[in-house]
Amino acid sequence: MNRKEFLQQLSLLSGGVAFGMGGTSVKAFAHNPFALNIEATNGKILVLVQLAGGNDGLNTVIPYENPIYYSKRANIAVKKENVLVLNSQMGLNPGMTAMKELYDSGKMTVVQNVGYESPNRSHFRSTDIWLTGSDANEMLDEGWAGRYLTKLYPGFPIQIPAQPMAIQLGSVESLLIQSDLGSTGVAFSNPTNFYNLVTGTTVDNEPVPETLAGEELKFMRQIATQSVAYSDIIKKKWDSAAKNLYTYPTTNLANQLKIVGELIGGGLQTPIYLTTIGGFDTHANQVVANATNTGTHTTLLKTVSDAVAAFQKDLEKRGLADKVVVMTFSEFGRRVTQNGTMGTDHGSAAPVFVVGSGVRGGILGRNPVLSDLDGNGDIKFEYDFRQIYTSILEDHLGVEAQVSRSIMGNKDFTGLPIFKMATSTLLVSNQDFTFDINAANPFITYTSVAYSLKKQMNVKIALYDMLGREVSILRQGNMGAGVYMEIIEGNRLVPGHYLCAMQCDAGQKVVRIIKA
Amino acid sequence: MPAWDVLNAKHLLSRCLFGYSRKDLEKALSYSTVAEFVDKELLANRPLPVPPGDWITETPTNNSLEGDRYRTMTYWWYDLMLGEGTNMREKMTLFWHNHFVSERDKVGYPQHMYIQNNLFRRSAWGNFRQLTKDVTIDPAMLIYLDGRLSNGTTPNENYAREVMELFTIGIGNYTETDIKQAALAFTGWQVTGLNSVFNQSRFANINKTIFGKTGNYKYGDVIDLILEKPEAAEFVCRKLFKEFVFYKPNETFVKQMADIFRKNNYEIKPVLRFLLTSDEFFGAQYRGAKIKNPMETTIGILKAFDLTPTQMTPTADWAYIYSQTQALQQQLFYPPNVQGWVGQRDWISSTTFVTRGSLSDYIVNTMGNTRATQFKLINNPVNYARTYKTSEDAVKLVDDMVTVFLQFPISAAKRQTLISTLLGSTILANWSTSTPGAENQIKALLKAIMRLPEFQLA
Repeated sequence: MNRKEFLQQLSLLSGGVAFGMGGTSVKAFAHNPFALNIEATNGKILVLVQLAGGNDGLNTVIPYENPIYYSKRANIAVKKENVLVLNSQMGLNPGMTAMKELYDSGKMTVVQNVGYESPNRSHFRSTDIWLTGSDANEMLDEGWAGRYLTKLYPGFPIQIPAQPMAIQLGSVESLLIQSDLGSTGVAFSNPTNFYNLVTGTTVDNEPVPETLAGEELKFMRQIATQSVAYSDIIKKKWDSAAKNLYTYPTTNLANQLKIVGELIGGGLQTPIYLTTIGGFDTHANQVVANATNTGTHTTLLKTVSDAVAAFQKDLEKRGLADKVVVMTFSEFGRRVTQNGTMGTDHGSAAPVFVVGSGVRGGILGRNPVLSDLDGNGDIKFEYDFRQIYTSILEDHLGVEAQVSRSIMGNKDFTGLPIFKMATSTLLVSNQDFTFDINAANPFITYTSVAYSLKKQMNVKIALYDMLGREVSILRQGNMGAGVYMEIIEGNRLVPGHYLCAMQCDAGQKVVRIIKA
Repeated sequence: MPAWDVLNAKHLLSRCLFGYSRKDLEKALSYSTVAEFVDKELLANRPLPVPPGDWITETPTNNSLEGDRYRTMTYWWYDLMLGEGTNMREKMTLFWHNHFVSERDKVGYPQHMYIQNNLFRRSAWGNFRQLTKDVTIDPAMLIYLDGRLSNGTTPNENYAREVMELFTIGIGNYTETDIKQAALAFTGWQVTGLNSVFNQSRFANINKTIFGKTGNYKYGDVIDLILEKPEAAEFVCRKLFKEFVFYKPNETFVKQMADIFRKNNYEIKPVLRFLLTSDEFFGAQYRGAKIKNPMETTIGILKAFDLTPTQMTPTADWAYIYSQTQALQQQLFYPPNVQGWVGQRDWISSTTFVTRGSLSDYIVNTMGNTRATQFKLINNPVNYARTYKTSEDAVKLVDDMVTVFLQFPISAAKRQTLISTLLGSTILANWSTSTPGAENQIKALLKAIMRLPEFQLA
């Protein structure tokens, strides 16, 4: 399929692209069973800024009244007179004047001592932990955003939404947006270049052999499909956006955020963006000797601070600031005690910044306790990083508590008071009907779905495989008000993912079920 | 012993070389067994290449020539890859570059990166124990992971952590204390000019306790202590398996490799020989299951078109390959971080996949194009097609080209599409490379073959 044919198919289907739908009869209903509501987030957007390498938290949010800070960091501590004062104890790195302004105007919340139990000090392992939202000893290959997005769009990947679910600025796709069902996002550096590169790319949906190589082929095809499907809309939205409403700095990170701002400004409804800046692995010479208010680390923080502040101003000019929140994160903080090379080695807990018009502002958490470190000489964590994810999911993106809990691996992470007011929950069921899984999932022998109707209406409940083929119809007909249940038997199903879709006159809902 | 036939030879060449030409394949098959080919060609020792310039021995001084020299050295390595013949030394050089990672932006002087690259080439299948010790005090590494700055009283942990996590035993096989203690043992080494020098006054001349053993260890002792752990051999063999066979390792087979590695005192050649002549390596399930890295993709295209290093113009051709491999996220001497290029699925993103397609289109478009500014010595399409004995039979020509370009078997439907692409408005019976317009049809076919996702698989 070339791009033109592909886009024709796209426009034929309301709300998205469907694969293998040919054999499915949905005539009785206005929409295909997987039509997705891209507006389920109410236009709320999360922009992540990843500080790769392990940001030195103690020289970012500085305990300028703590003598231990100055004794353990005799050569690299930022002097009290250089700190940008936040309160009587804590201040920002001198490079962060722009973020100081955000803080002063209540648009930035600082969450201190963010980490997790049994911290891992490997860049790669700890990055994976942050991106997947796993425990220290748990290996996941789905990003936490990937899990959120596959919950938001249960029809994925049979049908992909008309607009990208996630966008990453860059060229190597992050684990953040991976899911068990494939990548949920697209990665590019510039919308026009991306559009031009996609020209000539073809996608077919021929079945692949069930071999190792077939799996790799399928993987590439899914990536290509999204490139073809989305390069148009991305460019269109980007082209239509007002440009240069605010002058960004000329750094790479600022440029990434500038593009994000323009895409949002152009009306793209993608809920998740990832931007990245590297260079935080400051083992050596992180400050200039005898001028600790300058140096590599301060320059990096200034870059982040200026870029994020410019992004916030840009969104304010666009009148979209209340829709968007920015969160910075890094795989770990750094050792409290400096090493002998004007730098710091790998540590653990560190502060996280959440920026946006919707945040409460201020500082959350105790000031770093430098007199009671862990056995390795690192700061003990106070907040689990997944508490922040939970707050963002529930209070910003409007995810039901039960759903956000399942995104966080069915563990309890209490949200933090980061946002002014919780967004009213958006992922709620329709008033006139309910539909949900009602028994084991994943299941082996059987499971069931339960549904209720407030009034008499047409109903179709069917099971689909991941190619979009109808496996069986569980119920079809005109039904009266009431509460019902349908059994799904496992013995005739091949293990794997399936979608169970309910379509009725009042709307539709899809749940994903897994035959183990 | 695996059968030595076309399918197996293609598999072996596509994994151990940066692509291959039909001549390479013929040469491989001129040997009677896989073992003979592995011994006499793939793993044969050869003299070291002439260096990229006289500057490699120049004492580093800031002279703004670094950028140009890195380019020269990168083009030089491209030449070596394209001219590798049927010897896998350059593949192993890249393997070690991606294992014992250093990045040019932090190392600075290209001289240091050259010395390291030469170490990898000399040690391509030498002794891993010795290589690890050499790397530990290699100037570029001392700069990259801060060893040169570290000192005995307040050491810098950077190298100590990465040597265990990424270079030798992997996460989970050491403690934070082991790292701190090893960091002490690594102190004392600095870089002066082009050389590493040991400065006793900066060395932690005290007892260290590593993996429960205590002594006044020096850098070589730490490597020996690490290599006493059985996990070390498995760690390195797993990485070899992932590079040459499949990114999800067969742990049982990795253990067999590790056993051989240890019994041979960490000599690399015996374990490579074992791997490359094993039934496991040639298992049908692995065929076409590796996603090519950008160097394999680009150099492989040039080889498939029978281009040789002498036909390349650095400022035009290599400059193009440089910019494209950069866009595909593999710039030589500049891995993304200390972990190196992860490979396989990490090579493919929404941007890089489509970039691979535009790159192969671009190269094919230069064929027979007198105004093209790159690849001026590439064959014109008709002459290229006629290098295939089957050029006048459209179906057989498609099959033969598919054999050269693809490792993954394509479906009957795709084969039919390719045949139609070649024929264009002609019918099968009328196909001839002398038909007017055949030139464009051949180009269309070549582009279509390389646009298939199957082309990205080796």
